[in-house]
Amino acid sequence: MSNNWSIIRALRQSDLNGYLFVLPYVIFFLAFVAYPLVFSLILVFHRWNIVTPMEWIGLKNFVYLVHDALFLRSLGNTLTFLLIHIPLQIVFALLLAVLLNSRIRLRGFFRALYFLPVVVSGVAVTILWQQLYSYDYGVLNGLLNAVGLPSIPWLVNSSWAMPSIAIMATWKNIGIYIVLFLAGLQNIPGELYEAASLDGATKARQFLHITLPMLNPTIIVIVVLSTIGGFSLFIEPYVLTGGGPMQSTLSGMLYIYNQAFYFNHMGYAATLGFVFALVILVVVLLQRKFIESEPTG
Amino acid sequence: MHSTWRFLLHFTCLLILAGGCSEERQSPEALTGAVDLTYWPAPNSQEVELADSVVKEWNRLHPDIQVRMQPIPVSQSTEEVLLAAIAGKTTPDVCSNIWPGALHEYTQAGGLIALDQFPDFDSIASVRTPRELLQTFRSTDGHYFQLPWKTNPVMMFYNERLLKEAGVTSVPRTYSEFLAAGRKVSRDMDGDGKIDVWMGERDIRPIWWQRLFDFFPFYIAASNGKTLFTHGSVSFGDKAAEQVLGFFQECYRNRYFPRTFFQGGDPFDLEKKATHFAGPWQLAHLQKFVPGMKFGVVPLPVPDDHEGPVYTSGDFKNIAIFGNTRHPKEAWEFVKFLISAQHDLLLLEICNQIPVRGDLLTSPLFAEYFRQNPVMVSFAEQAVYTRGMDSAPDLKEIFDAISQEYEVCAVFGRKSPAQAVLDAVERTQLIVEWNK
Repeated sequence: MSNNWSIIRALRQSDLNGYLFVLPYVIFFLAFVAYPLVFSLILVFHRWNIVTPMEWIGLKNFVYLVHDALFLRSLGNTLTFLLIHIPLQIVFALLLAVLLNSRIRLRGFFRALYFLPVVVSGVAVTILWQQLYSYDYGVLNGLLNAVGLPSIPWLVNSSWAMPSIAIMATWKNIGIYIVLFLAGLQNIPGELYEAASLDGATKARQFLHITLPMLNPTIIVIVVLSTIGGFSLFIEPYVLTGGGPMQSTLSGMLYIYNQAFYFNHMGYAATLGFVFALVILVVVLLQRKFIESEPTG
Repeated sequence: MHSTWRFLLHFTCLLILAGGCSEERQSPEALTGAVDLTYWPAPNSQEVELADSVVKEWNRLHPDIQVRMQPIPVSQSTEEVLLAAIAGKTTPDVCSNIWPGALHEYTQAGGLIALDQFPDFDSIASVRTPRELLQTFRSTDGHYFQLPWKTNPVMMFYNERLLKEAGVTSVPRTYSEFLAAGRKVSRDMDGDGKIDVWMGERDIRPIWWQRLFDFFPFYIAASNGKTLFTHGSVSFGDKAAEQVLGFFQECYRNRYFPRTFFQGGDPFDLEKKATHFAGPWQLAHLQKFVPGMKFGVVPLPVPDDHEGPVYTSGDFKNIAIFGNTRHPKEAWEFVKFLISAQHDLLLLEICNQIPVRGDLLTSPLFAEYFRQNPVMVSFAEQAVYTRGMDSAPDLKEIFDAISQEYEVCAVFGRKSPAQAVLDAVERTQLIVEWNK
C-alpha cells in the first residue's frame, strides 16, 4: 500500500509541470466547450429567456420543432445551399488548383489572389456582393443589360436568392479548397503520370484515372469541411437578405440566431442547435460512406 | 521542492485574480455619506449632452444625492444591454431609454419597480401627459412601470423639389393621392430603362423592426389609433390592416417602391425617392448631411374613407427605475427633476425630440423654440395623436410574423391582403399561446 502511495507521489511530482502546461487549455476547454455544451443540453428541456428563471418543459421544445414549418424550411434551404455550393466549390477549386499546379507565369501571384477573399471580413465581402447583386443598380445586371440580356433578380426572387448566395460563398471560400487540392496534387507521385504516358494515356485519361482517384481523400475532406461550413451559413443571408425573399434564404443558423437573440427563446434555439448537429453528423456519415465506397487508385 | 513553490506561486496568483472578481467594493456613499445614484441615458451624443447638463445641475442642487451619468453601454440594442444588466444585477437606478415593447420582459424578470407606488405619481404624470395617452403605458397588472418621457412620431417627409418637378401640386394625404403621385414621380429620367426617382422605398428584407416604420404606424393611422392588441387580445385582424397591406402592395406592384438595394447611401438623402417615413430625428440628419434639400413633413397617408385625426406610432422612449436600486425615493426625485418643464425644453433644444407633454404648443415656455423651429410644430401637433407599443410579451416575434406576411403580400404580391392579415393574426395567436 505504502509502495502505491510513493508511486503516486512520484508521479504527481514528475507530472506537475505537465499538468501546469495543459492547465490553460483545460480551463479554456471546460469554460468554452464543455460547459456551453452541457448547459445547452440542459436548455433543450427548458424554456428560458435569459432574465427569468428556467422553466422545465420536458420534451415540449421537440414537439414544437416537429410542427415548426420554419424549421423544415430552414433545413430545406440549407440543404439546397449545400447541393449548389459543394459541387461548385469542388469543380472550380479543382480546376483552378490544376491550373495553379502547372507551370504558369505569376503562379505565386495567382495563388495569393485566389486566397485573398478568404482573409477578407465576411461582412465586408457580403456588402460588396449586395452592391453587385442589386436589381436596379447592380454591376452584374448592368453588364447583362450592356450585352442585351435582361436583369436577373438575384436577391429579390425566391428561386434566385439561394443560388446567388451559394455563388458568393463559393467565391469567398474557394481559396482554402484550392490550397487543399494543391497539397493533394503535389502528393501524387510523378511516376504514375510517366508510366501512364508511356502506356499512351491521354491527359484527360490521366486526370480521370490517376488524378481524381488519388485526390479522393482530399475530396472527402473538402466535402466534409464544405458541408459543416455550409450548415453554418449565417453572415451571407443575415446581411444580404435577412432570410428572405419569402424565407427562401432562411438558413438553419440564421433561424437559430433569430430564435436565440431576437426572440430570447434559448431553450428552443438549443434544441434546434442539437437537431442541426445531428443532421450534420448523418449527412457527413452518408457522404463518407458514398465517397469512400469508390475505388481508390 | 521547486514544484511545491511553483504550485504555491500559481495558487497565489489565482487567488489574487479571483479576488479581483469580487463584487464587494467600497461604494462612494460609504466614503462621502451622500446617496449615490446611477443614471443611464441613450448613448447618442445629443442625449448624452442633455443628460450631462441635467446631472450637473442636479448634483449642484443636491449635494446629498449625487447622480453618476453613464451612457448605456454600446451594443446592438439597448434592450439587449438592459436584459443582460437585469440578469447580472448590474442595472442602473434610473434609465431614460426604455422601449415600451421590451417592458414586459423587464417586469417579468422583476427588473423594474412600480412608479405608481409613489404618492405623487398620478399628479406628476397626468399633469405632464394627457391622461388618455398615459393610460396606454399602464401594464396589464394595472401598475405603471414606466413614465412616458419623449416620443418620435413617425410622419411622412417629402422632397418638395421632386414632387414639384413631377407635377404633384399638393402633398398626398390619402392612399389614392399617394398612388396618383407615385404614378407621376416614379420614372426613368435619363432613358436608360431604369427608374431613377421613386415615390418611396422601404428595406425589403423581412426584419421585424422595419415594420415599426411602415406597417405599424400605417395601421395605427388607418385604424384611428388602434394598436395590435386590445385588452390583451390580438385585434389587428381587421379592415384597416388589409387596407395597409393593400396600399403597400400597390406601391410595389406599380413600381412606385423598388424591390432593390440602393448603393451609396440613403435614397432620400440622395434625392432618389420623394417620400420617407421617419421621426423628428430625421430633421437633424437632413440639416447636417443634406443642408440644401427642401422638405416638408405631414401625417402619414390614410385610406380614402378615413375620418378624424391621423394617428401614428410614437417610438416612445420612457423612464424607469430598476428593482435593485437601494434608493427608490431619491431615484424618483431625480426622475421628477428630469421631466420638469425646463428640462423638457432642453430636450427639445439639444435633441430635437418631443417631450410627451400636453402643453407643448400652449405653454409660453416652448413658444420661442417652436417659432425658431417651425417644422417641429408638425411633430408637436402629431405627438398628441401618437400610440406607443403594446405592453405585450413576444413583440419581436409577433413583428417577425407580420414581417413575413408583409413581405409575401406587399413586396411580392403572392398573397391577398385579407389572407396575409388572417395568417399574421393566426401566427400571432400561436406565438402568444406558445409563450404563455
